[in-house]
Amino acid sequence: MSETPILWIVTLAAAALTLWRSRRYIAALAQAPGASRFDQPWRRLEGVAIAVGLHRKMLRKPLSGILHALIFVSFFVLFTVTIEAFGSRLFPGFSLTPIGGDSWIALLQDLFAVLMLLGLGLAVYQRYALKPARFRGSSGSDAAIIYVLILLIVSSLLIEAGARIVGGADGSWRPVGSLVADLLRALDLAAHPTERIAYWIHIGAILAFLVYIPGSKHRHMFLAAPNIYFRNLEPAGTAPAVPSERENPGVTSLGQFDWKQQLDLLSCTECGRCQAVCPAYASGLPLSPKMLITDMRDALANDASGPLVGGIIAEETLWACTTCRACMEACPVEIEHLPKIIDMRRHLVDEGHVSPMLQDALTNLTRLGNSMGKPSKMRARWTKELGFPVKDARSEPVDVLWFVGDYASYDPRVQDVTRKVAELFTAAGVDFGILFDAERNSGNDVRRAGEEGLFETLAQSNIDAIRECSFNRIVTTDPHSLNALKNDYRHFGAEFEVLHYTALLAELIAAGKLDITAAGGALVTYHDPCYLGRYNGGFDAPRDLIKAAGYTLHDMPRCRENSFCCGAGGGRIWQGDDGVKERPSENRIREALSLGVDMFVVACPKDKVMYTAATDALGVAGQLKVVDVAELISLREAPAAETDDRVEGCAING
Amino acid sequence: MKILVVLRMIPDSAGELELTSDGRGIDREWLDFQLNDFDDHALEEAILLKEASGATVVAVAIGEGSNRVLQMAVARGADEAIALEAEGDGMIDSRAIAGSIVALARSKAADLLLCGVQSTEDLFGQLVPYAGALLGWPHVSGSSRVGIEASALRVTQERGGGIAATYEIALPAVIGVQTASKAPRYVSGSKLREASKTAIGKAPSEPAGFERSAEIVALRLPGQRGSGENLGDNPENVADRLASILAAKGFAGV
Ligand code: SF4
Ligand code: SF4
Repeated sequence: MSETPILWIVTLAAAALTLWRSRRYIAALAQAPGASRFDQPWRRLEGVAIAVGLHRKMLRKPLSGILHALIFVSFFVLFTVTIEAFGSRLFPGFSLTPIGGDSWIALLQDLFAVLMLLGLGLAVYQRYALKPARFRGSSGSDAAIIYVLILLIVSSLLIEAGARIVGGADGSWRPVGSLVADLLRALDLAAHPTERIAYWIHIGAILAFLVYIPGSKHRHMFLAAPNIYFRNLEPAGTAPAVPSERENPGVTSLGQFDWKQQLDLLSCTECGRCQAVCPAYASGLPLSPKMLITDMRDALANDASGPLVGGIIAEETLWACTTCRACMEACPVEIEHLPKIIDMRRHLVDEGHVSPMLQDALTNLTRLGNSMGKPSKMRARWTKELGFPVKDARSEPVDVLWFVGDYASYDPRVQDVTRKVAELFTAAGVDFGILFDAERNSGNDVRRAGEEGLFETLAQSNIDAIRECSFNRIVTTDPHSLNALKNDYRHFGAEFEVLHYTALLAELIAAGKLDITAAGGALVTYHDPCYLGRYNGGFDAPRDLIKAAGYTLHDMPRCRENSFCCGAGGGRIWQGDDGVKERPSENRIREALSLGVDMFVVACPKDKVMYTAATDALGVAGQLKVVDVAELISLREAPAAETDDRVEGCAING
Repeated sequence: MKILVVLRMIPDSAGELELTSDGRGIDREWLDFQLNDFDDHALEEAILLKEASGATVVAVAIGEGSNRVLQMAVARGADEAIALEAEGDGMIDSRAIAGSIVALARSKAADLLLCGVQSTEDLFGQLVPYAGALLGWPHVSGSSRVGIEASALRVTQERGGGIAATYEIALPAVIGVQTASKAPRYVSGSKLREASKTAIGKAPSEPAGFERSAEIVALRLPGQRGSGENLGDNPENVADRLASILAAKGFAGV
């Protein structure tokens, strides 16, 4: 029998088998609820070009990035071999020779076959010798099978080329093929049978690869680019709203996730970059963002029965997340972990499945608008110890409406900082006011804890109060409030100009409105709060302030986009520490201690609380002082400006 | 079965209490009010009974913020919500409200009246016996579990020293709930928002027919106590500090 019909039969059979193996995914995607991810095609394509073409996120891990780039580029070059191998037999007469199949294309194939093997070697070295922790939990056999198939594909094509040269073909464009030919001659292998055997091994390995892919993480060869193309283009800080067609706020089965959320599951490469940066995982809690995705993926693949929430994904897994967004920032294929976690939490909350501590906090928030259970009348208490009155923005127009936030208002450990900020604003002549008891918790973390209904109540109440006021801009102390007001309140049609106090202070200093005595350049480090930095890009203003205050910044290894969460976000601050082996905040303090700096600068009230507790717990409070960036700034004419001065000690200019 | 559950709004103890100018009441103008904790448990027990045996639950609330709490009760599973008109805005006096509660229990044809065992304004738990007496129904206070078995109630009451007694009581009855069989559930904001559309009934206040027996002549705020001192967690320092404090106070000759 001639080779053509045989090849047709095996190729079609392999294609059919591949489709059959993909049937569940295809059905799941076809039945999934809609998601609007078709806008802005150019911006989407640009993202794909950067992510895939330039390997931008991949190269953040240099070895992985380079080896992947080698395999990736070689794959495209060697695809010409595949085209030729199948084309020449399926359609007799087809050949790449007219466009250089025997000359420059042959040369490229030869060289990239070697590069492919090099990439493969590096991959094997990384996985089996370096064994990065991020691979823990990834399928080892899946990776091994793929390595073997790639090795078969590449070696068989080199042997086939070598055998052809032994049989009399021109080897001048195939330096590697010629070397293989020498080897074949030395082994005294007959040219023709060797070529045929190598050819069919090549064909067999490629078809095996094809059939194998639907059940393997190597689906990402086909799905990574589409998944990146259809990525979320909304601001990072906007949590997805509950779709109006959904009956209950949460999600109870995989089929309720829209097609993009399901495509995410299929696209995961098991690279573990998300796991490596996850504070919940690092602290020993039962959450790995990678396993979250792969567990749901496996359930989708196997049509698993049993509940999603509390079954496939454990409740403790969902509650462990701080919503720090580090996983999404790290994921090279733009998988969205958080919308899934939030949607599943919404189900738990709707069912009343919350821990007693979280229940207390949410009940307080429902009743009083703050998680601490303090009366709203006491919200502006901190102003009493100021030497000047603070305007009530509800009754007189102001330039800046200051949304102070719960921790900055109520927590005695933070109130000093709040007063310092008020004094700095006053010194700079800012015309500001606050909402007094009309302010409610912004709902940022309430929403991310899955309490959508309460979030709506809080947001609506704040929006109503804010709309009653006459102001130009809003400034917030808490990065969490910043995020909610700026990004989440858009769902209610409220578009305010909102900035963080660090941005306003940096602006005032740049405009020469604050007269500062610079400190002597002492070394400090700075912690980027998740909701200021990663979520809202506020990386530079706090750094500018540190510099302007006269300190030298020594950044921690994990800084800016890669900052490591303090562990308080997304409602974690209202949960217990059960199961935590090392608190994220203590992990972070250890990182800072290794730098030999004296101060740990923060720009979030929750951070002041979290890290003060962490230095106390580690017994290093004397060695590393946790200070808010506002506390670093001492105004000229201020008597003996020590950072731990009572704020009364700081004179107010003017 | 029909259950009437009483929800009393009491001043939020986290707020700052101030006395009225005559010194005989708490100035309620600036106070936040919250549901009496024991009444919250009574509500939960009512809903648990409903879930176990299909009762109808009527929630009746008294005091400032009643509507909000009634919506919460509906979100948790109450079938009907009634705000009781209060006389004046003073303390919720069990002697005074018992008449209205009893009238409601009768008009709603309730078989079971549940209230919290006490409140900050009824420290001695008088509402349950008053209501029981006026209705002529048996009553038990301090329940930690209420179950229904063959149309009779089984009520477990916590006694001192970890002992629990279980009573069997024929309906109708009045029970003062100390803790519900399960901790009060969390009701989500979306359910609350849904429940905020429920119509809330009103009931007038009815006299209990009791003669006034006593008057409050003066209230006093808790005295300002000295603040504590944190001795830290280093055993040696703690011991030293403690010794010097004791010495300074003349307790020990160190
Ligand atoms: S958001 Fe942060 S805590 Fe949550 S899964 Fe991602 S990395 Fe982990
Ligand atoms: S979710 Fe993304 S980062 Fe995490 S393992 Fe999968 S591909 Fe890698």
